[in-house]
Amino acid sequence: MNRMSDEGGIYKKMATYDKRWVYLALFAIVLYSLIRPIGMPIGISAQTKAYKTELDTLQEGDLVFSTWNMEFSGYMELKPGVLATHKIFIEKGVKLCIAFGHFEGVALPPEIFKQLKKWTDDYDYTEGEDYVIIGYVFPNEAAVAALAQDFHANVRVDWKGQSIEGTFLDEIQNAGDFDMISDYTTGLATTNLINHVVLQYGVPMVVNSIGVSVPGHLANLDAGLITALLASTRGGAELEFLINSPGPGLKSMDAFTFGHYSLIIFIIIGNIGHYGWTRRSGARERTGIR
Amino acid sequence: MSSFFKSRSAQITVLIVSFLLVFVPYFIPWGPLDWLSGKLMTIAAVTNAFTIVIAVYSQFRRSGRFINERRKGWVYHIYLLALMAIMTLSGFIFGQHAGAYEWLLLAVVTPLSSVIYGILAFYMSSAGARAFRARSPQSALLLIAGFVVLMYQAPLTGAFFPGIEGAATYLTDTFGMSVSRMFSISVSIGAIVLGVRMLTGKEVAFLGFGEGDE
Amino acid sequence: MTNALFTLPGFAEGRLIGLLLLILIFVLAINFMGSAKVPYIRRVPALDAIEDAVGRSTEMGKPVVCSYGCGGFDYWTIAGLSILGYVAKICAETDTRLIVPTGGSASSYIVREAAVDLVRNAYTAAGRPEAFNEDDMPFLSGEQYAYTPGYVGILVRERPGTMVMTGSHWSEAMNLAEMANAVGAVTITAGCYTSNMAALACASDYIMLGEEQPAAGAYLSRDPAQMASIRVQDIYKFIAIGTILVGLIAVNLGSDIINRLLAT
Repeated sequence: MNRMSDEGGIYKKMATYDKRWVYLALFAIVLYSLIRPIGMPIGISAQTKAYKTELDTLQEGDLVFSTWNMEFSGYMELKPGVLATHKIFIEKGVKLCIAFGHFEGVALPPEIFKQLKKWTDDYDYTEGEDYVIIGYVFPNEAAVAALAQDFHANVRVDWKGQSIEGTFLDEIQNAGDFDMISDYTTGLATTNLINHVVLQYGVPMVVNSIGVSVPGHLANLDAGLITALLASTRGGAELEFLINSPGPGLKSMDAFTFGHYSLIIFIIIGNIGHYGWTRRSGARERTGIR
Repeated sequence: MSSFFKSRSAQITVLIVSFLLVFVPYFIPWGPLDWLSGKLMTIAAVTNAFTIVIAVYSQFRRSGRFINERRKGWVYHIYLLALMAIMTLSGFIFGQHAGAYEWLLLAVVTPLSSVIYGILAFYMSSAGARAFRARSPQSALLLIAGFVVLMYQAPLTGAFFPGIEGAATYLTDTFGMSVSRMFSISVSIGAIVLGVRMLTGKEVAFLGFGEGDE
Repeated sequence: MTNALFTLPGFAEGRLIGLLLLILIFVLAINFMGSAKVPYIRRVPALDAIEDAVGRSTEMGKPVVCSYGCGGFDYWTIAGLSILGYVAKICAETDTRLIVPTGGSASSYIVREAAVDLVRNAYTAAGRPEAFNEDDMPFLSGEQYAYTPGYVGILVRERPGTMVMTGSHWSEAMNLAEMANAVGAVTITAGCYTSNMAALACASDYIMLGEEQPAAGAYLSRDPAQMASIRVQDIYKFIAIGTILVGLIAVNLGSDIINRLLAT
């Protein structure tokens, strides 16, 4: 083994590079691309087109349960999708019931509606009349099931403590009265919504998910448990492109592209090093290099 | 009386009754049963919310012991308790929509939690870069598949090579999806059988009981 | 939505077959548990490694860190608690310090109390109740990304010989596994969703996949009745494979009979 490491040379260095090089390169590349985006072209996936088509089925006055099942950290990833989707909701004049699945959610409405101010002003979209924020809903199974079964037994006031009586939410008895669930998720209560709203009442559900959870949601999409999926920041950027409203998503796509390419380069370097090193030593199977 | 409620048989009885009240109405919708099930859910949701008090109390007690006994790192426990108090009091006194609480949330809590979340990308990249090595024909195949999916995930690639979406989608929708399905099916069956063991009182760790505890 | 093949009055549409399949699982599981015939069960390396890994910690005089996840009372957490009970039992018997970071989400508060009881009972059962130290089960936070640096801090300060991370750990799992790896701990993990598993497999020494975690309680108990229940999982997997194959053939022959039957 010692002899082998002596023989490694440049190949060994390539095969066993310090992971801190990956951190440094990724940090520098992403930071530079975010500060100085050059606006490279992007491809639009069929998945995002299908998401847009699903939102287009909504009519004016439809009731949508918008569940912000994300922490603030997750919001930073989902922001393009959240903004683009809500722009569509406002333009269509759907009624929104907004809930958060995390205590940090209390900081989200001021931030999100500040970004949407142009749309809410243009379409005269007002709190209490067009949208009601019911606030924090405990994201566990029992709480979601309870809310789905008897909405008004669990929600009597909005997030500011004002009664929801007299708003469009009077029409809601149980979750089956919603026309759509629009979920933005880091994984908090999404499965519970599928179990207790989609399966129980057959309400269509669209999901905007963080990247790491997308493979799991793809299975839900394929099985028809959710009707459309918007994947991470990239999906949000594509939706921004489709509705012709550039925002934070499209701005970050250069960083996305270069981040992925840099990772590919590290994989290639590692494999060249692995091949060269183990070939030279003639003991590839005995190295156990990770 | 309290020992009766703490006993294994009493807790399993509560478990079985709760299970039936939630399980049966899903299959047989009947007004009174639905009502009862809804009430049980509400009680469970409220009970859950109250457990935060126990957690906060437990943290105060632990930190209190550290400070009292001047154990290693006790100063950090003062810092912890002070921050807990500031956050709680600012919420109680000024309300959650007032400047102080909102500022603490936006200027302190959210950037810190976003940083921890962001670090994840570095860990996943380095672990992925180290794991993708063509050590055998199988891992070479995995490497090629990973390469295609990674290339597709870079938004620029799709703009110049539209065909890559078909290849990447084929990989994720056939191989990736079948693995995902296998995972879901096996886990669901495993979870149901685990449920049977819980309901029959065989698996009781979740009630805090060890082997042989009554 | 596929049209159901038939409906029964008073019965929710599309749920009859599901109920029948569930009842069959119950009947089979109870029947197998009653017979208590231990079936052949393949080895699960991650579970088998726990005892050796704790032993390694004992020899090195280092603590063991074991967590049961951040979630509420879902099946991952319940499985994680079973594994925690096992780890606590070995630690109590071998006089190895056990650290259990708790918290991680708003749903996790209620689980903590059960976990404390479980570990305390394990120490009592081993005849060493005085060795139980609740301070080694810190509640770190109800917030996932405050829990994570708290957990990482424990790993860096205490330098455990072993980390067993089970239950529903989400995106923070990768931070924890990489950090445990960096401090030289034997890292035994369990993935609770597909993408998590793929990432954890890169960073762990041993990983539990799929149903291995829900079955862990039965596997580790060595109780014939519990182990017998695992047979039901195999039977149902064969039913699932059979249904998929028949459905595939039927769909290709232009019939949606299986879809409609399952929608019944």
